[in-house]
Amino acid sequence: MLAFLNGISQSLDAYLVLSGLLFAIGTFGFLARRNAISMLMSIELMLNAVNLAIISFGAFSTSLRESASVIALIVIAAAAAEATIGLAIVIAIFRNKKTPLVDEYDAMRD
Amino acid sequence: MTLPETIPLLGFTWDDLLFMTLAAVMVGSALLVVTMKDIIRCGLAMIICFAALAGLYVLAGAPVVAGAQVLVYIGAISVLVLFAIMLTQTKSGPAALVFQTQAFPAAIASAVLALLIAVTVASTDWPAAGARIWTDTTKLAETLFSDYTLPFEVVSVLLLAAVIGGVYLAKREPGGTD
Repeated sequence: MLAFLNGISQSLDAYLVLSGLLFAIGTFGFLARRNAISMLMSIELMLNAVNLAIISFGAFSTSLRESASVIALIVIAAAAAEATIGLAIVIAIFRNKKTPLVDEYDAMRD
Repeated sequence: MTLPETIPLLGFTWDDLLFMTLAAVMVGSALLVVTMKDIIRCGLAMIICFAALAGLYVLAGAPVVAGAQVLVYIGAISVLVLFAIMLTQTKSGPAALVFQTQAFPAAIASAVLALLIAVTVASTDWPAAGARIWTDTTKLAETLFSDYTLPFEVVSVLLLAAVIGGVYLAKREPGGTD
């Protein structure tokens, strides 16, 4: 019954499907949550999903071996910068609006 | 005493079992991140998700990236997110309504996205798919500091700009009320 799971850690498909699943979960969180910080956390999940895809391509292809790790490290650094700026913006808006909920940020609507 | 090649009863190799466990933990905690009501718990579930991902990186043969994942994501970004949560949580604020009104269409769209990715991955014949390889750390360092020197320097400038920008955005106005 579980025979199809044999050798799953040796298949690129399994890693990529897992990464796609994580990306979809992050998409759902970004679209559905009301809290700005929850949305930022969902973005982090999506970035991690992309990183997992890069790493798994590097693991299964000889020509990409070191480049994949380097690219993943650069993505991690860029994600750190993004998190810093994103959270700083959320805190700055929170100081003015007194709410972390994005559907109450309507200053640019009227 | 040595461990047997495959797991008794189930017939998987240890790598397979590890992969399945880590994948289950990662997907489960990611679902908790996007669905739980208490946002602090969401942040803690995010840490578990990142830890499971670090394990998957090791399993995929990239121990250096796994180390960076632990240092940067678990060590720095999670702490930053938890601090931001504690700074922006209001006692009076309604935590009752967690989701936007478009949550249901968003769930359908994400499910379709996951399905599309899975179908695409399954139907593509990846040319390079072969045995898993371990990344050699020495070669990784050589690649990083020879072929990728420019991106490396650009990232350092980006981090500096992010630090300055973050401080500028989050600092209080001199004459501010709070």
